[in-house]
Amino acid sequence: MSSIFRKREVILFVTGIVGGINLFEYFFAVKPVADAATIVRNWAIIVSIFALGLGIFNAVRIHSGHIRRRTKNQWPFSVFLLVYFVLLTIIGLWSTQNVIYDWSFKYVYTSLSSTFYALTGFYIFSACYRAFRARSVEATILIVSGALIMLRNAPIGEVIWKGFPIIGEWVLMQGQLGGMRTLALVGGVGLIFFGFRTLLGLEKGYYGGE
Amino acid sequence: MPYPTDPIVVSGIWAALILTLATYSYVLYKETYAFRFAEHAFMATTFAVAVVVAVQTLASNTYLPLTQGDWSYLIPIILGLLMYTMPFKQYRWIARYPIALIVGVGTGVAIRGAVQAQVVGQVLGAITLPSAPTPINWFNFFFSLIAFVTSTSYFIFTKEHTGLFKYPTKIGRYVLMLALGSYFGNTVLFRMSMLAGRVQDILKVLGIIPF
Amino acid sequence: MSKSIWQKMADVDKRVLYWLLFLLLVVPYLHPLALPVAVQETTLALYKKIETMGPNDIALFSIAGGVSAWAEIAPSMVAVMTHLVTRQIKVVIWGFFTDQDLTVDMIKSKVPDLTTKYKYGTDWVYMGYLAGGETAIAQLASDVHAVFKADKYGTPIDQLPLMQRVKSATDFTLALTVDTGSYILYYIRHWSTAKGTPVAEIGIAMQTEYLPYYPNAGLMAILIGVRGGAEYEKLIGHLGDGTITMDAINVSHLLFIIAIILANVGYVMTRREKK
Repeated sequence: MSSIFRKREVILFVTGIVGGINLFEYFFAVKPVADAATIVRNWAIIVSIFALGLGIFNAVRIHSGHIRRRTKNQWPFSVFLLVYFVLLTIIGLWSTQNVIYDWSFKYVYTSLSSTFYALTGFYIFSACYRAFRARSVEATILIVSGALIMLRNAPIGEVIWKGFPIIGEWVLMQGQLGGMRTLALVGGVGLIFFGFRTLLGLEKGYYGGE
Repeated sequence: MPYPTDPIVVSGIWAALILTLATYSYVLYKETYAFRFAEHAFMATTFAVAVVVAVQTLASNTYLPLTQGDWSYLIPIILGLLMYTMPFKQYRWIARYPIALIVGVGTGVAIRGAVQAQVVGQVLGAITLPSAPTPINWFNFFFSLIAFVTSTSYFIFTKEHTGLFKYPTKIGRYVLMLALGSYFGNTVLFRMSMLAGRVQDILKVLGIIPF
Repeated sequence: MSKSIWQKMADVDKRVLYWLLFLLLVVPYLHPLALPVAVQETTLALYKKIETMGPNDIALFSIAGGVSAWAEIAPSMVAVMTHLVTRQIKVVIWGFFTDQDLTVDMIKSKVPDLTTKYKYGTDWVYMGYLAGGETAIAQLASDVHAVFKADKYGTPIDQLPLMQRVKSATDFTLALTVDTGSYILYYIRHWSTAKGTPVAEIGIAMQTEYLPYYPNAGLMAILIGVRGGAEYEKLIGHLGDGTITMDAINVSHLLFIIAIILANVGYVMTRREKK
């Protein structure tokens, strides 16, 4: 019996059906199909909540492995991570108003979250200095348009020359429009074609296709 | 706002400062144990927050319907739990069903929205004549129309970009560089405001600028 | 063969560059430049829309950005929420980030009128976190009550007077998404294009990739990055963190321009030396 459910055709059929219901509902006003679409969308939303835990489950497995193997320069940090994670999870599930959970969320998580996100600011600066060379026409256009946008975004651009914000505004609102529109169009067309391939069972990557 | 006096708040803001400097020790000096500690603290808190919020959300979305007798909510709960068979090779095939549900629904929903917004909307936007027919508006209209057509031609891969087709695709490449350069310029604003925010917080905690 | 000055400059340790950037960012906080910020049309469009709204209108405040992006989007969030509350517009908040409770707490602390002058359940509600991305947004567009059974605090949805007026996207006068990714596109696809609900964005600077949808293809307004926040603070006459951060932006951007110029001058000079 389980061999039937293992068949990839069954999985592709499920994907096609639930996707097809949502497509049909959009273009045709048929109440039973609309009700079915609402149900499968609700189910997908609830299943997505479980997906949050899957990455964490995997991370816990990896760090447990480090502890088991006593990976050099890693295992003490893995111990700290798992202990802190389990402690916070238990406390948080019991009460999010608890002082330890609240303190960790407000001060540890918030500061580190912003700090790690801001790390790339350093890299982008060194990339600008080391890699931004006008070696070709394309590179020159890229650098010049980037510089014009920077001088438009920062009020100091207007102090340097009154024309910078005007030109920068034009690049932002008109100059880049054609290219960005193309990227939106190409992205949309690609999504539609890839989507239909998925619903028709021609794409296998999403379920680890065999 | 005056400098905080509550011991819990003061301990928190100083812990945040130390963790921030520990993280920046990686770029300003080299990889240190302080950085590794901060990195793992971040991972631990992120995971904990995600689990707590996921459980709370699941409870709030499913508890009421189940207690009101709508047992159909058990189906997505079971499907969600089946996702956790994925790390185990012999049972991995079971996890394909909840994934098929998420992918199928997501794909169906995405396709129906993309047609109008991304395809029709963008083409209409490119060919709509300016409402106020001033010279600058006409210039902008023709510039963005030519830019749109030439950059779209660059993405035609079924014909080689040679002969007469070489010129519009070349212009299309330049137009795309203009757009990507603009995107880079805005990326700089984003990254710098993030970094400036951290610098501001450091200065506040050290009492150099008002809280 | 000894290196030329240009080669030495190109080979400088990257940690020198990082320290230079880090230290120079301190300067504007000690000596503010306070340069005026011109208001752009994309920001003014949102201001004008909210100015036409009042106590009978309901605005959606969708949080699709995390705490990590506060430096960029918090000034805009605070300024816009201040404006909404000043105009007594009803507000429904929900979001897609697990740390959004912190964001809501931050808004409550910086816009105290939201909790002191507004009545929870009647004037504003916080529905909590939602998983599912585009699927959830598509579902919310047609039936909010099918998705949310209770608010963040466990109050059943049928006990929230404001939520009795909100059944689908068409019940909102304005849908505002605070965005660091592609949620704006989902709202454009399923709320604006499909249901006709005006959609506006409070976004990070990179959200300019969605400018092709402005103003007639689904996006009615967009606040771009911390600059958008500074502009909105100027419009409502309530200067805050956005305006303060713009000083640091001035210094950092000037540094970037100098870095690009030096890099390219060095490149040209090094090529000449090689020839």
